[in-house]
Amino acid sequence: MAHHLRPQTSMPQTTIYVSPRSLGAPDSRPPAVVTTDLARLFAGSPALAGVSLQIQAGLTVALLGPNGAGKTTLLRLLATAIRPSYGRAEVDGLDVDREAHLVRSRVAYLSHATGLYDDLTARENLQFAAAMLATPDAAERVERALADVGLTDRAADRVRDFSAGMRRRLALGRILLGNASLVLLDEPYAALDADGLGLVDQLLAAWREVGVTVLVASHAADRLHALVDGGVVLDRGLVAGVEGRGVTSVPPNLPAERRPSPTRVAS
Amino acid sequence: MSALRGEARVALAICRKDALAELRGRHATVSTLFFAAVVLLLFGFALGPDSARLAAAAPGLLWLAVVFAGILAMGRLHLLETDDGALEQLALYPVARRAIYAGKALAGFVAMLLLALLVLGAVGVLFAVDVASAWAPLLATTVLGALGVAAVGTFYAGVTVRLRAREVMLPLLMLPVLAPLLLGAVKATSVALAGDPFGELGAWLQLMLAFDVVMTVAGAATYGFLLED
Amino acid sequence: MKTRILGIVALAAVALATYVALAVVPADLNQGDAQRIMYPHVASAWLAYLSFGVTALAGIGWLWRRDLRFDSVAVAGAEIGVIFTAFAIWGGMMWGRPIWGVYWQWEDPRLTTTALLLALYVGYLLLRRLTDDPDRRATRAAIVGIVAAVDIPIVHFSVEWWRGLHQTATIASPDRVLNPAAPMVFVGTLLGMVAALTLAWAYLMIRRYQLAEAELGREERARIERLVSSRPITTSGEVAR
Repeated sequence: MAHHLRPQTSMPQTTIYVSPRSLGAPDSRPPAVVTTDLARLFAGSPALAGVSLQIQAGLTVALLGPNGAGKTTLLRLLATAIRPSYGRAEVDGLDVDREAHLVRSRVAYLSHATGLYDDLTARENLQFAAAMLATPDAAERVERALADVGLTDRAADRVRDFSAGMRRRLALGRILLGNASLVLLDEPYAALDADGLGLVDQLLAAWREVGVTVLVASHAADRLHALVDGGVVLDRGLVAGVEGRGVTSVPPNLPAERRPSPTRVAS
Repeated sequence: MSALRGEARVALAICRKDALAELRGRHATVSTLFFAAVVLLLFGFALGPDSARLAAAAPGLLWLAVVFAGILAMGRLHLLETDDGALEQLALYPVARRAIYAGKALAGFVAMLLLALLVLGAVGVLFAVDVASAWAPLLATTVLGALGVAAVGTFYAGVTVRLRAREVMLPLLMLPVLAPLLLGAVKATSVALAGDPFGELGAWLQLMLAFDVVMTVAGAATYGFLLED
Repeated sequence: MKTRILGIVALAAVALATYVALAVVPADLNQGDAQRIMYPHVASAWLAYLSFGVTALAGIGWLWRRDLRFDSVAVAGAEIGVIFTAFAIWGGMMWGRPIWGVYWQWEDPRLTTTALLLALYVGYLLLRRLTDDPDRRATRAAIVGIVAAVDIPIVHFSVEWWRGLHQTATIASPDRVLNPAAPMVFVGTLLGMVAALTLAWAYLMIRRYQLAEAELGREERARIERLVSSRPITTSGEVAR
């Protein structure tokens, strides 16, 4: 069952569909994300080298760090696009490796690639996504999603003719077709024009208001500052630091004599 | 039961999406059909001009043309998933893996059936074979053959789509596995055209059916592992 | 150490069996000395199928347990299997030439099935070469191995039926030897050859497995070293740069 809430903002309204799981005050819910010594290797070299994080539910957290720090890898692991090489990760208490199919119904992921079919129209792409997500009232939801991302007038055009910014917006529209409790965004501001940037800001505000957990990887730290509750900084596959509230981290699992005690950054 | 219905719905949605993308995509479907026609023509030049010899070889030439064009067709169905990471996105939906396989295999089956029927007609014309006389068994053979190529092709196209040298790996992996289906289809076709004097047609069709069932089950069971990275 | 003993025993057994097959057992009444190659040919064919079965089962093991040792068994099975398959085909051709007058006979089900087996193996090994990441390689190889293994029985039956219509007796069959009327010396030689070659197969499999593990081991150690951070950790939990 889904509730739908219309957040009160000054911008054109966005409709976010949430599952009952996302309701309730952040403190009362179990952590949205728990990783323990999470590591992932690609052809022998570690993209993520042992990350232990806890992200509180219902909050918006920024994932920061230079290129190659492991932000994308972490998001992909949580989205179940890839499996961990070591360690484990849990979303809403579900193991991403062993219960991946359950995790998938709770997570929405915006990656660098949009995953759209060039030869299909915008509307057809969303209709396909709605069929895959088993979205109720699919036809109506598709039109609403198109309207929310401002692509109604281009809905019948093939995605092949879209600019990178328009594809990004359509991909965001696809997220609106689900009722994810955890939204993972990888560089959402990339390739967007002013309207697009405003759309992302608006969506972040809307998700924050309705209690959807959001993890945003981005270089635009200053833009995000006002929109997020906390942040975690990655560097070379490890957590370099945490800020704000909602995120806690433990240093990687080292031999006992080198293991410091876990830290919690005060909000 | 409703879970299976949900899977069927997902499979149909994928099949529909594939069909839509294929029909819209730069007339590639037509190119595959023309490729099959050209292959038949070349067979004629290679083995002719003795029409008796060609007529005797016709069942084999028919299925070889179908299989070769089928490699292209099945490869293309997965190629469309390379559009900006579409396959990765497909893997992220909360749908059963075997439903994804079923959807793509279904689209493949429709394409292969169309291809095989057209090639059958072309063979009838080019090699002076009376296909109309045995249309029912030939139809059964064609359906079973198309199913087999689609089941095997969908699987191997999935395996090779992200590999380098995929254009050569797909036929290299697919063709040996298809040998028993090819054997059965050619036998069934030639027996059907001869009027089935010894009553063997049933046995060959059963072989093809067994192949189809086994390969579909094996493909559906293992395809999901391809989608994880 | 135990493996070395196995190797020596295997070598001795193969030598003994070869001697028996060449010099001790009487020649076939109809086919003469050419028939002697049947012994290693049949044994090799059996081991070729066994190897493929091992590869497929090891693939299932990897998919189930995600332990790369299963993948090492799989690659060992495939490579050793190729060797025995190639030998079986060569043996079949050498046998066929004096009997049939030609190197290849399409009506011989064992020959054609084994040739297809070789094609499946080669495809499997080429596929492995094209993937660098060990986990991805193991997964792809496993599913291809399973589907190919499932295909083998169908190939076998289809080729048998194919040939059956021509009513030509298969030359390359041990049926002429493995029947109640045949003298024990023939059966004994065949079983002895099978046993000897199976020992050799086991030795080669173990060695190839050890080689695969050693290759992985090197990579694995490097991985672990890189994972365990050697950078000093400050008390606030931040990693010093």
